[in-house]
Amino acid sequence: MKGYRKYFGKKIVWFLITFAAAILLNFILPRLMPGDPVAAITAKSAQGISDASAAQEIYNHYAEQFGTNEPMYVQFFTYCKNAAKGDFGLSFSQYPRKVSNIIGSALPWTLALQFPAIIVGWIIGNVLGALAAYIRKGFDKVLMPVTLFFSSLPAFGLAVILMIVFAINLKVAPISGGYGYDLIPQLSWKFVRSVFTHYQLPFWSIVLISIGGQAIGMRSMSIYELNADYVKYSRFLGIKDRKIVGYVFRNAMLPQITGLALSIGTMVGGALVSEVIFSYPGLGSTILQAVSNSDYPLLSATTLIITIMVLLASFIVDIIYGFIDPRVKAAQFD
Amino acid sequence: MGKTILEVRDLKTKYITRFREDVYAVDGVSLKIEEGKSLGIAGESGCGKSTLALSLMGYYFPPLHYISGDIIVDGDNISKMNPDDIRRNILGTEIAYIPQAAMNALNPTQKIIRFIEDVIHVHEPGKTKKEIYEMARARFEELGLPSSVLEKHAVELSGGMKQRTVIAISTILSPKVLIADEPSSALDVTSQKMVIKMLKNLMEKGYIKSMIFITHELPLLYNVTDDIMVMYAGQIVEKGTAKEMVFDPIHPYSKGLMGSIIVPEAGSRDVKLTAIPGTPPNLKKPPAGCRFAERCKYATAECRANLIDSKEFADGRSYRCIYEAEKLREVYGNE
Repeated sequence: MKGYRKYFGKKIVWFLITFAAAILLNFILPRLMPGDPVAAITAKSAQGISDASAAQEIYNHYAEQFGTNEPMYVQFFTYCKNAAKGDFGLSFSQYPRKVSNIIGSALPWTLALQFPAIIVGWIIGNVLGALAAYIRKGFDKVLMPVTLFFSSLPAFGLAVILMIVFAINLKVAPISGGYGYDLIPQLSWKFVRSVFTHYQLPFWSIVLISIGGQAIGMRSMSIYELNADYVKYSRFLGIKDRKIVGYVFRNAMLPQITGLALSIGTMVGGALVSEVIFSYPGLGSTILQAVSNSDYPLLSATTLIITIMVLLASFIVDIIYGFIDPRVKAAQFD
Repeated sequence: MGKTILEVRDLKTKYITRFREDVYAVDGVSLKIEEGKSLGIAGESGCGKSTLALSLMGYYFPPLHYISGDIIVDGDNISKMNPDDIRRNILGTEIAYIPQAAMNALNPTQKIIRFIEDVIHVHEPGKTKKEIYEMARARFEELGLPSSVLEKHAVELSGGMKQRTVIAISTILSPKVLIADEPSSALDVTSQKMVIKMLKNLMEKGYIKSMIFITHELPLLYNVTDDIMVMYAGQIVEKGTAKEMVFDPIHPYSKGLMGSIIVPEAGSRDVKLTAIPGTPPNLKKPPAGCRFAERCKYATAECRANLIDSKEFADGRSYRCIYEAEKLREVYGNE
């Protein structure tokens, strides 16, 4: 039990250190981008005002509101203090909307798109990979090139292919958006159906790519485990193949769990490509918008979400591994 | 004469390589073990010792294939049985195996007791977990292993402990024949001694009725087994009691093997080490005559031309050489 506590303690300390470093970088990096977004906003509202001092007045007003007139370190502490309360300030690009409000409306779209896609892709990929390793022969010979093809396609490539084939040529799915342009979000059949049809292309563009990567990993892990000495030994003790296959796939799954956790952790960043291509109203599109408008408050907040998710995912993997893999336990707990 | 537990007649098996070539790794091996006896098999790397061990179990999977011969375990000829029946009714209960790489023989993510449950459930499906635990605990303690091992994973055990655990698991169903393939070769001397003691203990207590012990270390066999067989290139070149084989080897290859043993004693640093020159023949195309001829300093054209049959003495000793035993002893004496 002492081993467990020490293991968790160590993991938590590392988690906090990485977290602190991440917050700092999330704050600084967007602010190093060239350009003055406050000036851009000023220019928008000062249109038609020819008086220089009036424009300066407007500029100062905005600078004070965003806090950009303060030195960088003061801004940082204000940022930390407010972020702890869930307040990330006002967005530059969608002024005067609050950053937390923008994220609040985009995040559910991303989660609803990515989470099921990752899980479905992971399950199908692992089952196919395991079957390919176990059956070999024709199944493997067909599956391998196909999965290799999908996993080596860049995400945007597959998304564009799906869009051209299904939305433009076959016209069975809408080209872009999260729901029809002519609809207002509400709980009606029409709206739900529209969301569902808009969901298909981005969903499958993510599923297909993750099936490829997972199947290849699972196949090679399974082949490795199927040739392990414990498999032969178990056979020579008369144990049934069904049981041995159980040992093999349990062991082959272990590294795949890391893969699953990491793709869940990086899903917001991973969403970017397919969301941008399909103009899906999720966090990915929000990030693109924030980058192109030097919207630091929005950018800091979205990258912070990515960082927290990645850190949490790897932290959870570390903890789970301590329980499910006795090799990690033996190496880490004493 | 005791009851014969295992008899093997002219067993031939081969490997089929990925290029569809045949490698005749066990080529006409016959042997017999009586109840309570142990047989050692010695030979250099690649001579077919481990393949023989795998072949003796009667259960083959690629790349190893059965060609011909009989394996008779306590009166039953298992070489004609269907593989599924062998797996269900023979492996683990009649014939048990200790693999060469015992370090990796245990599933790394499974507790020892869970694996023992799986082993016993195949053969005795009705047993409850509690009964199995009690049975395993009693057997482990009797063999000098702490029962706490049962609740551990393989990674938590040292090399010697892992090896002894594997031996205890292999013999938990009290098999008639135990085939131990280099069970102590990868261990330090202390662990080695414990493993040997454990195997002897199993024999004495009657948990196993006979044992085949495979190793490349001849002095070890002299201490452990009753009889010794020397293998070369898939064939048995000489067979005899442990004492005969160590102190009076007849076949030039056995003689060479004994000569390669280094005994630490005064002056042994200055003695030039003798090794048998050359390498074993390629078993994809075994030579027509004596397989050892290429490396034998006494070989003649006749040796290379014709297949050499085994010569057998009345007391069961046999060797595979064209020369008379007396002649060879005389030659060795003069060297």
